[in-house]
Amino acid sequence: MSLKEEVIDQICNTLDVTKDELQEEISLYDSIGVDSTEIVELVVALGKHFGVKLETTEVTKNSTPLDIVGIISKKK
Amino acid sequence: MEERVAVTGIGIVSPCGLKKETMWANLKKGKSFVDEITRFDASLYGSHIAGQVHDLDYYTHLPGRLIKKIDLFSHMALVASKQAIEDSKLDLEKIDKTRVGVFMGNALGGWLFAETELRDMYLEGREGISPYMASAWFAAAPQGQITIFYGFKGYSKTVVADKASSGLAIWYGAKVVKAGKNDYVLAGGMEAPITPYALLCANTSGTLSKNNASPKKAYKPYDLNRDGFVLAEGAGVVMLEKESQAKQRQALAYAFIKGIGFSSDGYHHMRYSNDYGMLSYAIEEAIKDAGWNKEDVDYICLDAEATVMGDYLEVQALKKVFGSSFNNIAMSAPKSMFGSMLGAQSVMDLIITIFSMKNNLVLPTINYEVRDPYCEFNCTPNKAMEREINKALIVSRGRGGINVVLAVEKE
Repeated sequence: MSLKEEVIDQICNTLDVTKDELQEEISLYDSIGVDSTEIVELVVALGKHFGVKLETTEVTKNSTPLDIVGIISKKK
Repeated sequence: MEERVAVTGIGIVSPCGLKKETMWANLKKGKSFVDEITRFDASLYGSHIAGQVHDLDYYTHLPGRLIKKIDLFSHMALVASKQAIEDSKLDLEKIDKTRVGVFMGNALGGWLFAETELRDMYLEGREGISPYMASAWFAAAPQGQITIFYGFKGYSKTVVADKASSGLAIWYGAKVVKAGKNDYVLAGGMEAPITPYALLCANTSGTLSKNNASPKKAYKPYDLNRDGFVLAEGAGVVMLEKESQAKQRQALAYAFIKGIGFSSDGYHHMRYSNDYGMLSYAIEEAIKDAGWNKEDVDYICLDAEATVMGDYLEVQALKKVFGSSFNNIAMSAPKSMFGSMLGAQSVMDLIITIFSMKNNLVLPTINYEVRDPYCEFNCTPNKAMEREINKALIVSRGRGGINVVLAVEKE
């Protein structure tokens, strides 16, 4: 599984949304209406899964799934 | 004449049904819905019986994405709110949502969610805590979730006053409607006390029945052998609006919130004052506020704590207020069939009373077997009784003597 697929899987599992609802180049807010507490949950879940330290200032509601892939790939 | 506040929608999540029609059909049978607690192993608790809500997942309309962020008490409140809105036939697309408020009552908060997270915090450290904890556990969380879910932006409040919480919430909601601050108010309460920690706290109050061997016989208000009430979980919500507005939009008005009496014993943090004077005062104030005479009251839905002193004081207070007309008034404690929902109990009593008015049927106080010479009166023992009810009082008492009495009329 590529990093992109793995990140999208993690977003879907953590936030309880489907892959169809997410769009790679659309922000999480615009695609699934993510809220600030969901971002905290996502940051913690992604950090644990990929073994990296993420901040809520890096992954925000305005981040797209591709942005998140980029952030994680730099930290790995 | 002063404008009345009408109840135009009803929603219920209770141990005896998750729809108002089911609840009424079940309660009419006069049987108990109290059982041994099954959610977790509660066998070591002094009282480990309760009225529990079953099949909420089957009745829910909420997506999993929301359910995992909220406690059970918010979940039940959201389901009851949906029913109340649908029942009121209100078209949410056609109203000004800045003029819709939510007034809820709760006593304990959302411990099912909180306990799990606190355990994770001690096991995993601070990062083990869900970010939803902050908005899931506190008493006003359901009010917030309802307003967010429907986009209601009107004046809203949550009241914490033990067993009187939803009674006060209904009154505040009615006042806001009457004052013209909101066009519509969803009012009621919710409680989810069947969790390991909440049940422990409730047990330390010393007011719960320990008759675990016979759950269905345990809650026996006014009986000589009473030993406390039984806990229950659930939520009740009613839609409130001005009578004129309800008429204008041809909404069915189930009943009208006519008045309230409230007082505090100001005596002890847990116990009631022994002189029952402040409860009498609250009852008299409710009658006065409604503009009734004492003789007008047809039915009283009782608080029924089922402790030796609690029941005695309640009956004495009523006898003091009504004097010679005491025996003419129908009285009962239908909650003996399912338990006390604490912060949601007053609204549950209101809904039951509305159905009693509609069907001219007084639901019974079940498990009444042995007469208590110090607490003697007709509590409609064990069997429902036909009686025309137009005006009713609902008595609620919170710990330490938070006395709230609602006055409700049918026509």
